[in-house]
Amino acid sequence: MSGQAVAVVDTNVLLNLATPVVDRRARAPSGADPFKALLAAYDVHVPASVLGEVTEATGGEDLLATAADLVLRAAHQVTTHDVDDRTDEPLEYGLDRGEAEAIWLANELEADLFITDEFNTTNYLFVSLALDDRNSLFTSPHILCTFAAHGVLPSEFVEAALSYYVETKGWDSQYVAQLRQRYLVDGENA
Amino acid sequence: MAEEKTRIDFNAPKSLVERADSVVDILDISRTRLLIDALEDELEALADDEAFRRRLGDAYYDGRVDYKTVEAILGREEAMRMKLLEASIDRTPAEPQLADGLPSDESFYDGDIPEWRDDSSSESEDESRA
Repeated sequence: MSGQAVAVVDTNVLLNLATPVVDRRARAPSGADPFKALLAAYDVHVPASVLGEVTEATGGEDLLATAADLVLRAAHQVTTHDVDDRTDEPLEYGLDRGEAEAIWLANELEADLFITDEFNTTNYLFVSLALDDRNSLFTSPHILCTFAAHGVLPSEFVEAALSYYVETKGWDSQYVAQLRQRYLVDGENA
Repeated sequence: MAEEKTRIDFNAPKSLVERADSVVDILDISRTRLLIDALEDELEALADDEAFRRRLGDAYYDGRVDYKTVEAILGREEAMRMKLLEASIDRTPAEPQLADGLPSDESFYDGDIPEWRDDSSSESEDESRA
């Protein structure tokens, strides 16, 4: 609220940003909390199905389940919308329910940002097509770079986090390199 | 249907041409047909090759190859994805706003942060590194 930009996010964004926070391996970046930064810096909204998908991911012993556990601990910081049965239309394409409903919600709220990590595959095309305002489409690495540029997160942490995601999640390294170049090298990293 | 053709001449090792001609005889096709098929197969294989795709992506982002080239080699969907992603990089997201800095973990997460360690493999690795 309070004049913050409205962001709608999908399940993977929440889980991806929470992952380095709970990952205690040496390879994980430490010293900052990108998940908390997202929820504190924007007015974050999700459809109930996204929290449903996060809940489904809990219960195991693995890294993903631990990240999901962290997301749920902060779920009260997120505005949840009941959007049942709003996406029967041909919105879904190859997208899962949470994704399709999140896009629907972003359109409905005229959100300033729709954040997705579906940028490695052609799903990105469907997301682009389904969003009313393509200019509101962003990804976690783009947002992380923005946080570095605005001093919300340390640049060194964002650098390390981007490398971590490229290695562990197989994020499109060229796209990430472009973002680095644009926001971390040329930007306010000095 | 008949696409315009362009003539190419090139030198190749004699023994390779002889082998090709033997194959051409057996298959009862023209030498041209064999070469075209071979080229098409090679281009198709490259399109699936991760290292090649990376180089093509670099070339596209650096402006050394254009959209049409990427589309011809990787297909329209992949080319569109790269084009849209590239366009998105220059977009500036709405500014993040923190009222009073980041909240404490205690108030934000209502307790300790859950932690995950890779018990199966990293234990020895981490300890030896420590």
